[in-house]
Parts: sequence; C-alpha cells; structure tokens
Amino acid sequence: MATFEVEGKVFEVDGDGFLTDPNIWNDDVAKLFAKSDGIEELTDKHWAIVRIIRSNFEEKGNAPMIRTICQETGLKLREIYELFPLGPARGACKVAGLPKPDGCV
Amino acid sequence: MEKIDKEKREKAIDLLRSKSDSKLITHLNSCVRCGLCAGSCMYYITMKEAKYIPAKKIDLVSSIYRRYCTLAGKTVPALVNAKDLDESMAEEMIDSLYGSCTMCGRCVKHCSIGVDIPYIVKKGREMLATMDMVPKTLQATVDAAINTGNNMGIPTVEFVDTIKWMEEELIDEMQDDKARIPLDEIDKDIFYTLNPREPKFFPLSISAMAKVLYAAEASWTLSSKYYDVTNYGFFNANMAEATQIAKNLYDEIHKLRGKRLILGECGHGSRANRWDGPNYLKKAYDFDTITAVELIGGYIRDGKIKLDKSLNKELYTIHDPCNLVRNGGMLEELRFVVKSSVANFIEMNPFGNDNFCCGGGGGALAMSEYNDRRLKIGEIKADQIRKTGAKVVITPCHNCVDQLLQLNHTYKLGVQIKTISEVVADALIIIKTN
Repeated sequence: MATFEVEGKVFEVDGDGFLTDPNIWNDDVAKLFAKSDGIEELTDKHWAIVRIIRSNFEEKGNAPMIRTICQETGLKLREIYELFPLGPARGACKVAGLPKPDGCV
Repeated sequence: MEKIDKEKREKAIDLLRSKSDSKLITHLNSCVRCGLCAGSCMYYITMKEAKYIPAKKIDLVSSIYRRYCTLAGKTVPALVNAKDLDESMAEEMIDSLYGSCTMCGRCVKHCSIGVDIPYIVKKGREMLATMDMVPKTLQATVDAAINTGNNMGIPTVEFVDTIKWMEEELIDEMQDDKARIPLDEIDKDIFYTLNPREPKFFPLSISAMAKVLYAAEASWTLSSKYYDVTNYGFFNANMAEATQIAKNLYDEIHKLRGKRLILGECGHGSRANRWDGPNYLKKAYDFDTITAVELIGGYIRDGKIKLDKSLNKELYTIHDPCNLVRNGGMLEELRFVVKSSVANFIEMNPFGNDNFCCGGGGGALAMSEYNDRRLKIGEIKADQIRKTGAKVVITPCHNCVDQLLQLNHTYKLGVQIKTISEVVADALIIIKTN
C-alpha cells in the first residue's frame, strides 16, 4: 500500500494517488490533495464540482458523468478542464476522495 | 505470495505445450541474446536494470517452456536454465509482463532476428490470466466491460443523456437540425465507436467527430449499448473475456445492420477489433473495419470535407500510437490527415514506426500498481515533446491522450493534447447545402 505525505499528514493511497479509504475524506483532505496537484486554493467553482462528485459517489458508488457535473454546477465543460488541469478523473475525482475510475483515465 | 491452484497451473503450462502454434515455439526458441532490444525499451533506458531488458522478460516464459516441454529441461533443468512455474516465478512474471511492458513492440523493430517479443509477453500474460493472477485494477476494467457493455460501467440512460446533450450543442453551433448524433439507427453506412472516457469525462471529441461526419454528410449511427471500441481482454490476455467483448460489438453491428465498423480513436481497440477480433471469433468479419484516421483521410481525398489549414496556426507534432502506427500501418495516413489540417508541423525524434510509446500502453494506464513506473518512463516522451517546441500534440488514441495529459502536468510541458477529430473539426469549412 502506497502512502502520500503532505504538510505532515500521511494518507494511504493507491498507486495513482487516489485515497484508499474514501470514508476518511473531508474538506481538509480535499484542500491538501488539491495543493499537491498545484491548485493552491479551492475556489467556489472548485468546491461546487467536488461536492457534486462526492454526493454522486455517496449515492451511486461511482463518479458522475461530466454531463451531470456541468448540469448541476452550471459550469461550462472547458471551465472544468481549466479548474482541474488533470481532468475530471485524475484531477477532480481524486480531490473528492473517490477511488480511481476504471478505464483509460 | 498467492498460492497457485495446481489444476490452473497445468492449464497455464498447456498453453506452451501446444504443438499447433508454430509461431510461439519458434519465437520462444529464437532469442540469440544479442542485447539490441535493451536500448529500444523505455523501461530499460529509464531504469537501467537487467530485469527490464525485453529479452530477459520473455526468457521467463521461455524458461518455463524449456522446463516442461523439452527433454533437457525435464531432466537437467539447471543446465539449460529451465525454471519451475512456482509462486515466485509467477510473481516475477506479473511484475515483468504486466508491470514492465507496454507491449509497444519497439523492441521487435530493433531485434536482430525479429522475435515478436510482445507476442511472447502476451502468452505469458495469458498464462497468468489462466491462474487468475491479473493485476486487480486491470481486471476491474475488463469486468466492467463484460458486466455493463463498456469499460467504465456507464449506464445506458446516462450515455444517452450525454449524447443528446452533445447533439443539442452541435445543432446550436451549426444552426442546422441535421447536425445530429444518431443513436441506434438501422442500415447506416457507418457504425461508429467510442472510448468510454469520451462520454464519461471528455465528450468534446464526440462532438468534433460528429461535426466531421456532418460536414461529410455521412450516414452513421452510434449504438446506445455497445459503443465501446476498447477491448481490455487484449491486455489482461484472458481469451474468453477478449472474445466475449469482441462478440458483443460484432453482434451489435449485425443487429443495427451497419455496413462499416469505424474504430474510434483508440490504438489497442483498433488492433483488437480489426486484427485480433476475427481470430477471437474464429470467423472473417462480413463488414469493413477501418479506423477513424482512414475514414477522415478518405473524406479529404474524395473532397467530401474541405479544410482550411490556416485555422490551425500553432506548431503541431504527432505522437504515434504504437498499435496504430508501428503495429497498425497508419504511418502515412495519419500524416496525410494532419498535414491537411494544420499549417505548421514538426516531427518528434524518433518518429513514426520508431517512435516511443506514450508509456501508458499495454493496459499500464489502468494499472495503479505500476503508476510510478509509468510516469517515470514517460519522461522519455516528455523530452521528445519538449524538444519539438510544438504547442499542440496530436494523437488518435484516447489512452495516449490521458497519459500525455499526465505527462504534460508532471513535466510541465505547457502543451495542448488533441485527438485527430478535434484538429480536423477545428479546420473544417462548413458549406451549407440548404
């Protein structure tokens, strides 16, 4: 099991750096993970994306479609890619504490 | 260490005992240990450890072959470097064959006698799959495809919702109700396929392709159930699963009576469907199978679409997906399409058939277990890109796109990564006929 250390805190993560136990996730974890990806501060737009990903995961057990993220947040596709340069999966889902989605992501 | 089930182990060894596969026997016995493959492999170049030399990786399989299938190996194994297929050997095989090879085939081009190294790697993976030893994350991707029809487990209703959304946007952009993204339509010329990461997270490549098909006035459809061009059974090497996934697509084309299967921008998916599919199903396909690159190339040549290169002004370069170029013959066609679409183009070094893998092939992108290695070997690709000075990297493979996105971030390249349909769509001159 890999670990990931940021600002003195240690998290258990998979090889791709996704949180092993999604249940230990909270806002502080999100901030730390975002920082390590080069996002110094999570703006309201970032949080809107993270919240919808998180609630979809808690309800359905997986990441939402990008369609749902756009619909629920009112953000444009390109804005989402700009807010999370690593993309919705490796960027946003990781900050939201989800396991890595399957497939070519 | 995982215990190997005896019966399954026998089945795995049986894969090497087959007398009917002359290619396998030849290639298992041909390596002359010249070492030329070492310098061709991203893993060895990066890590400089002997275990990453391609010849060393496939010798694991050959040593098992010698142990169980040759007289010398059966009687004096130590003398001929014949090895038991035990737990520690299996561990080594998992690490070398799943974890240290993208099956890119660059070593084959440099091999002094042309040993098909990825073929042996795949046979080794097949042995591991027979013993239920596929890395967990890779198996999860195959399971999703088997259980849901696509490798990301997207429910049909959510897929349809996304396609309708992209269609509305396209109709809006084109100001034409005919700018459609048809679903489940019968008797169309083109049955188009996607990588599930497009509808799930990156749908702009769907609307880009739809725009090209609209401009060409193509007769086409997507299936709402089996649209997935990937076949991760090609990577986990579980033949029954690879066959099932290929069969789902084959049956769906027949159901919708599509004339041509157009393989969306996916390297391994193109290879697995076009070349391996008929072998999995043991029958010739009764429909044409071509890639999106060739479809677009044909449109340009036949004057069905008109492009204005000056709309793509930045400096562009190509990353060659291994399974489309080195292993798929798409070298010239890819360049024809790119050079027809962009004003400024530069090759990376090396390029084409000798290009390096993105580092995420062979299922590596799906295997979290080996993430560190994937990003490490990717530095070779990052350096290639940086040296071109290009601002945009074009690659007709969504798997490569994802690896390049990560390399772009990790190595701070500051480039854009685009699929071929996105670049072509950006250069389109739309001529309204009504």
